[in-house]
Amino acid sequence: MSEVWSFFLFAAFVDNMPLTLFLGLCTFLAMSRRTESALGLGIAMTIVLGITVPLNHMIYQWFMAPGAWGWAGYPDLDLSYLALIAFIGLIAATVQLLEMVLERFFPAIHAAFGVFLPLLTVQCAILGGSLFMVERNYTLGQSAVFGLGSGVGFAVAVVMLSAIRARLSYADLPAGLRGLGIAFILTGLMSLGFASFAQMTASL
Amino acid sequence: MAGTDWNPWRRLLALPNESRTKTVIVAFLVSAISAVLVSSATVVLRPIQTANRAAEEQARISDLVRGIPGMAALLEDSGGTLSTVVIDLERGRAAQDITPETLDVALTDQANWTVLEAGDDLAGLGQRPNFTQVFLLREGEDISLILLPVTGQGYGGRIDAIVAVHGDMNTIAGIAVTQHSETPGLGARIEDPSWQANFPGTLIRDDSGDVRFSVARGVATTDYDVDGITGATRTSSSVTRMMRFWLGPQGYGPLLDAIGRGEF
Amino acid sequence: MAERVSYWSTLTEPLIKQNPVTLQILGICSALAVTTTMATALTMSVSLTVVITLGAGIISVIRRHIPDTIRLIVQIVIIASLVIVIDQFLQAYFADISRALSVYVWLITTNCLVLGRTETYARFHGPLPSMVDAFGNGLGYSLVLIVLGGIRELFGKGELFGAQVLPLADEGGWFTPLSLMLLAPSAFFLLGGLVWALRSVRSEQVEPPDHTPPETEPAK
Repeated sequence: MSEVWSFFLFAAFVDNMPLTLFLGLCTFLAMSRRTESALGLGIAMTIVLGITVPLNHMIYQWFMAPGAWGWAGYPDLDLSYLALIAFIGLIAATVQLLEMVLERFFPAIHAAFGVFLPLLTVQCAILGGSLFMVERNYTLGQSAVFGLGSGVGFAVAVVMLSAIRARLSYADLPAGLRGLGIAFILTGLMSLGFASFAQMTASL
Repeated sequence: MAGTDWNPWRRLLALPNESRTKTVIVAFLVSAISAVLVSSATVVLRPIQTANRAAEEQARISDLVRGIPGMAALLEDSGGTLSTVVIDLERGRAAQDITPETLDVALTDQANWTVLEAGDDLAGLGQRPNFTQVFLLREGEDISLILLPVTGQGYGGRIDAIVAVHGDMNTIAGIAVTQHSETPGLGARIEDPSWQANFPGTLIRDDSGDVRFSVARGVATTDYDVDGITGATRTSSSVTRMMRFWLGPQGYGPLLDAIGRGEF
Repeated sequence: MAERVSYWSTLTEPLIKQNPVTLQILGICSALAVTTTMATALTMSVSLTVVITLGAGIISVIRRHIPDTIRLIVQIVIIASLVIVIDQFLQAYFADISRALSVYVWLITTNCLVLGRTETYARFHGPLPSMVDAFGNGLGYSLVLIVLGGIRELFGKGELFGAQVLPLADEGGWFTPLSLMLLAPSAFFLLGGLVWALRSVRSEQVEPPDHTPPETEPAK
């Protein structure tokens, strides 16, 4: 159990998607102006990542990994180059399905999420989660924990940034730094802080 | 008013964008054309990719061998080339029916792979091939040098390397890294000759037969360590685990024992 | 009657005036991960520029016949196919750099810049203007990446394109590399600094303040 927990912490803090892997920065910076939108984005990302990374793992292992078609008599068929298109298809389908389910059964939540869900289809972070899962050869269990952990890490980072920016909106910044400039520098400082987590799992 | 256009293509284009037929056909055409484009590119380029990889591997082996102190001289004395053989890892001896040429085909058979339990899988491989190709330098009856390909899961992806071991089967003669995806400037320093120069002379196993090799955190302190890479803790520990797996009982351990006993 | 598109301005606007990274906040994701060396930054820039230009061209050609319901996914599939072709090409001829870039080349598919340009421009204009606009944006992106990559490699390792430019202290020179430059945070700081510099020079890009403090009388 502690292995699962330490892997979760690794995915959430050490390999933090926006701050260490540079994934999902466009939406990270755009949505961090207000804490409500930041929280909504974080929750939506956790749900979508937690669903798509394990699902993508399964279809990759069954259809596209080298040797996946061995049972049909084509052991050296290597379709891994199609992984990109398949992953995007699955992510788009998942997001669409999630939106439909929410609209039908939880309309209040659907209204709260607003525009985020369709936005997530083309988010580098969601696709990046699946791609890193393939490159690092995670098992199904690891993929699920990685997806959830990454989503939580993203949520923590974006809410933190929005809180800091809310404070800074009253500060007297140089004109050139207002908005995007200071957001980058803040993210850099947060990234520096999160880098210290790297030692946390090295000893686990 | 023009008559009905019999050209099916023009009829398709004339349909309103929202019609179901057009949606389905456009979706199908886009998918089909993309699939053809992507597949042809891959099929055309794949042979070049494998050829490049093979050429790189050859170059690394020659570089590794030349990098070992005294190696170039040794090679000249013994007539120049390394011999190669496919090894049966479980039994620690030469494979009976498999040659270097037939190795790739043999490895497409799942029966020639062993699935690793979590406790044994130090290098994060999932499964291990039962047969690998190694390179030997013989001096008369004895083996003076053996080159062992190793692989493991690094921080950014697979790490492939070749480890050279001296005739006592316990002293490392050198290492060459043939493939990695580690962070440039940090973990990628495993391909720096200056870091690899730490390896010659490092011992693998202690007197009781346990594999003691490791990449130290910081400067090496014992005969079984090499210096670590600052700022690349995870890459360093991946290398440690990879070496311990392959030089231990799950990897080349049986082979090294067999050679030590003179049974090879 | 549509006005004649000025190709030159379409091409050069995204370089500074409407730079995708520093003004439009597009395409940042991959911009930071691949700028540790100039070689990777350059490869990434070229790959993205090729993908965005060809993608904009293709989508512009079929723009009148894409049903609205599948619009986004059709664009993504076309861009993804181009990305896979480029990636295979890189793996065949530039294997080392391809490994260093790892998944970030594939992430060009969901790069906000690529999709942003096809959604806003290529859908409404002919192939040639779309390709010029896409190429201009690609150049703007490349400019930022190359500047970042250059600074990070120069101060992080003393090299440019792998060639030692500043002699390292370890090897008898005077330059001690700033290892921070090789880590993630430095990219953010540099980009923030770059944005600051640009907006100090071109004040029209400055964002308005969120709150204006109320006028108060100074205490007497």
